[in-house]
Amino acid sequence: MKIGIPRALLYYRFDTLWRTFFQELGFETVLSPVTDKTILDEGSRYSIDENCLSSKLFFGHIAVLEGKCDAVFVPRIANYGKEGIMCTRFEALYDTAVNTFRDKDLKFITCDVDLQEKKTEEAAFTSLGIELGCSREKSLGAYRAAKTADRNSQEKKIRYQEQQLEKEGIKILIVGHSYNLHDEYIGRPIIKNLYNLNAIPLLADAVDLDWARREYTAICKDVPWMVNRELVGAIHQYRDKIDGLILLTAFPCGPDSMLNEMIIRRVKGLPILNLLLDSQDGNAGIETRLESFVDIIRFRKEAHI
Amino acid sequence: MKKAYLGIDIGSISTKGVIIDEDKNILASIYLWTEGNPIGASKKVIASLGEMLDQDNYKVVAAGTTGSARKLVGAMCNASIVKNEITAHAVGTTTLHPDVRTILEIGGQDSKIICVENGVAVDYAMNTLCAAGTGSFLSSQARRLGVEVEEFGKIALSSQNPTPIAARCTVFAESDLVHKIQMGHKKEDIIAGLCHAVANNYLNNIGKGKKILPPIVFQGGVSKNQGVVKAFADSLGEEIIVDENGHLMGCYGAAILAMGSGVEREFSFDVADMDFTTKEAICPHCANHCEIICVYRNEELIDAWGNRCERGEIKVGS
Repeated sequence: MKIGIPRALLYYRFDTLWRTFFQELGFETVLSPVTDKTILDEGSRYSIDENCLSSKLFFGHIAVLEGKCDAVFVPRIANYGKEGIMCTRFEALYDTAVNTFRDKDLKFITCDVDLQEKKTEEAAFTSLGIELGCSREKSLGAYRAAKTADRNSQEKKIRYQEQQLEKEGIKILIVGHSYNLHDEYIGRPIIKNLYNLNAIPLLADAVDLDWARREYTAICKDVPWMVNRELVGAIHQYRDKIDGLILLTAFPCGPDSMLNEMIIRRVKGLPILNLLLDSQDGNAGIETRLESFVDIIRFRKEAHI
Repeated sequence: MKKAYLGIDIGSISTKGVIIDEDKNILASIYLWTEGNPIGASKKVIASLGEMLDQDNYKVVAAGTTGSARKLVGAMCNASIVKNEITAHAVGTTTLHPDVRTILEIGGQDSKIICVENGVAVDYAMNTLCAAGTGSFLSSQARRLGVEVEEFGKIALSSQNPTPIAARCTVFAESDLVHKIQMGHKKEDIIAGLCHAVANNYLNNIGKGKKILPPIVFQGGVSKNQGVVKAFADSLGEEIIVDENGHLMGCYGAAILAMGSGVEREFSFDVADMDFTTKEAICPHCANHCEIICVYRNEELIDAWGNRCERGEIKVGS
């Protein structure tokens, strides 16, 4: 059995976990290709207009998996209990996907993570394994192996970022969801652009996530969303080591729209650039904003402010 | 022969040009409408500047471009520097007003705020996806009211009782405006209300979270509107400085940056007579279908851009 994984949304957070889990169970996984214009156009076609850019892309990534796999994996992730809730989108994703593609030759598999309802990640993946015909023991083992691999991959990301931090130059922390930071159409061009401007981009998802979820309260105590807690925690960890902050948001993201306001008000003394991306083709506006942002940081440094 | 530096600011609505000497004095300046033709407008700007400049005593040794068509015009006139409009404006304004702390700017399609400390731009914000509350918004509302936008300021100042108008979104503002007209509000009150709405929308969006310290310089096309100037003064409780050369700050900054770049490049006023064309090519290499813009001078390719990756790169001079 071939399991399709859309290269969008939570894939960028859970890539190692998901792929290792399925591989441990002996299933082949197929990834959709990196985002391109066709995927964006397809995604917009399959989405309602109010969807955020990132979830439009998600639907485009599902569409290209048609005929390439036996089932597409789309988990329902509602919350992680006291660690925080997820955007409602992630709880609804499986059902919206099934409904959107009901006339297509696409099958979906899912599992429920909802700690408020006592459905842990471990229980969710174990029962998914059983559903796919594996034993409870094997499924649990696969989940644990996947969890270890996931931790190792996160540590690798952190170590890479630590090397970046040691370099000389203007360092800018890009604060955004992993699925925006690493997407070829959203975050990648910004990262490339910063390198071209001789700045060093740092990514807010390369942190010790457990630490970030504990320490985010130094900036704001009331953040309901788990991922946003981690992003705020990352700002707290890096704020003394960086020269500027870019808030990268895909329009219209509910959680980010509230959190960005809070960050702009609470994080003083650090230049902040608020970048709101929609599916516009031209990137001149982005170039203008990034170039002037880096210029201003340089001016500040030269004037020792 | 003395050295001179040329700066051009090609915006969505207007194109501005200036020539300065080595002491940053303005030797010639011009302001005209872009009319959707940045190449044509820039040629006219260059031709006029050429006529105004004392070419027997001054020679342009470097040019700088800024504004949304900066790349295109930069390729056209062999610019030493192509800079974003925020940096250019900050440099221009802080040169003329060294003590400025806050620069408010509202142009045809964008609005920005620049915070300055010790003559150095240290923070800024710019409108994001939406052009609500910019010059084009005011122009379209003027048309609806049957008033020339240039008259707006004067009419607004005659109002005793500005009508509150929701200006968060152009679409909402328009329906609110129509409603207020039908309710019988006076035209001058509505116009004054629009000016207040523009200022408040700006302060609540672009200016949000920024410390707006005096001296405050207001520039960009909308700064010519006395009604908006007064609305800012009322809301901020501070004097608002509008420089008579405020519309030139972008090109002035570009000229200063060209001088500061230390790169001297052959510039000729003849570009005004040369034939510049652009062609759009769609890169065939992947599904992104990047739109590549090729710029030709007298049918010779001089520059190209728009590709997302190396595969779409078009080599110039090969």
